[in-house]
Amino acid sequence: MISAQRLTRRFGARAVVDDVSFEVSRGEIVALLGPNGAGKTTTLRMLAGLIVPTSGAVVIDGVALTHATAATLRARIGFLTESPGLWDRLTVRENLSTYAKLYGLAHPDNAIDRVTEMFQLKQQASLRTAELSKGMRQKVALARALMHEPAMLLLDEPTSGLDPEITRGVRHLLDERRAAGSAILVSTHNLDEAERLADRVAVLHERLLAIDRPAALRRRLTTGRLIVRVTGDPSKSLKTIRRFDAAAAIEGATLVLRVADAEQQAPAIVAALVAAGAGVIEVRPEMPALEDVYLHLMKK
Amino acid sequence: MTTTRIRALMAKEFLDLSRNRLALVPVGLITILSLVMPFIIAVAIPYWTGEELGSDSDLLKVSGVVGHAALTPSARVQLFLFQQFLLLFLMTPITGAMALASHAVVGEKQARTLEPLLATPVTTGELLVAKVLGSLLPTLVISLAGVALYLAGITTMAAPGVAASMLNVRTALLVAFVGPAAALVSLQAAIIISSRVNDARTAQQFGVLIIIPLAAVLVAQFTGSLWLSSTTLGLLGLGLAVLWLLLLLVSVAIFDRDSILVKWR
Repeated sequence: MISAQRLTRRFGARAVVDDVSFEVSRGEIVALLGPNGAGKTTTLRMLAGLIVPTSGAVVIDGVALTHATAATLRARIGFLTESPGLWDRLTVRENLSTYAKLYGLAHPDNAIDRVTEMFQLKQQASLRTAELSKGMRQKVALARALMHEPAMLLLDEPTSGLDPEITRGVRHLLDERRAAGSAILVSTHNLDEAERLADRVAVLHERLLAIDRPAALRRRLTTGRLIVRVTGDPSKSLKTIRRFDAAAAIEGATLVLRVADAEQQAPAIVAALVAAGAGVIEVRPEMPALEDVYLHLMKK
Repeated sequence: MTTTRIRALMAKEFLDLSRNRLALVPVGLITILSLVMPFIIAVAIPYWTGEELGSDSDLLKVSGVVGHAALTPSARVQLFLFQQFLLLFLMTPITGAMALASHAVVGEKQARTLEPLLATPVTTGELLVAKVLGSLLPTLVISLAGVALYLAGITTMAAPGVAASMLNVRTALLVAFVGPAAALVSLQAAIIISSRVNDARTAQQFGVLIIIPLAAVLVAQFTGSLWLSSTTLGLLGLGLAVLWLLLLLVSVAIFDRDSILVKWR
């Protein structure tokens, strides 16, 4: 488990990260969302032991990250930097081989074979990385971060610049790492990706504005409106649902009503509609998109 | 500090250099120049002009520092000149590797390869030792090959007795101990500079400053005003080795990962 405890980082008088606390457990993916300059990369760098917090602490598997423990703890972390940072004149295999030795892997060749297979890089293994496309370079950087099978993964924009097919592959891979018990923190601008990938989403803008499951975050902005779809003409069911909300209306092909507690009242509404002879297709609370929640939090 | 990580980084440096051989061309040129120049002065010019080296009273006087009274005056002057020019080979790894060392840290930063590297378990000491040795060894190999050719040339072309007189403790100390130690000190200083500046050109400019005192020693040797005995050279080598270790400790202490990652662009 990786734990950020009241992390603060100042550059001069300016706080880039201010009093941020959260934890990422084993077998969990947390997405770190925030606009440019929100402190995402700084937070990742502090967690990776690359830069020192002005105050606060990082604890990895119960061990505080200090100058004395940093080298040992870094061996447990896989860090994908914002830029792939590959040695251009070296081949893919030579890049990975150097890192395998730096991580002290007992069988570097086996590890390289495994990740090149995993990322479908076998054919490119003997190419110099300068010859690779942006997407390929990102794949090599990801392979490098995962090669030593780290317990903690810190990924800065892992799918940035990747095509949809490779992006899906990366997501699949992160799912696998989660299933294998890794604690994964992913920084991203991509709200859709955060929602698809993450167990929890942390919204950062200098301070931690919110951290929760994506659905729970969306519920925070819930409108209290219930969307009802029935078979046939919805106007025939309008009278029934007005027993729950006198102002209920038809919007397009759906019935919309406002209730105090959508989850609690939905069964009674379905029962009333069925009793009235309506065929119920769908009853669901209207939820805002994660994007709406994000923008709402940013405005605060 | 583990040698596995140092070796891994050095292997990376050598691979990188082997794919960028142009970076070694200046070292090669300096070596060729160091090789050709002494033979032109000590062998070719006297041959072309028909004037014996020993006929120059000033040279004869200053060559007395080498000893070897049994040699003919011309052979002694030749020995003196070859001994002095040997110093050029000691400068080769320093001047040649200076550009590589100056670029070592700032180059990684500018290529954006430093951050992933620092995210590994590699310690600052391992990184800096690998950078110094990675810069030094290729140029040292070229320089030693130059020395071997130099001695072979002396054996073939110099006056009788000169080659045998060259093969002494002083030469061995200069080539195998003082030279590499001086190079280590200079390159470690260059690495310190490279990890404190945020621009390769600035690092290079400061690197030139390191060579100035070495050039001064060289000039003093040539004028005969400074002649280092074997004992002095041994002590000098030892002092330089200690100084390198001190500089290594200083460079580790002042290597500020935080500042390098955050402030450099």
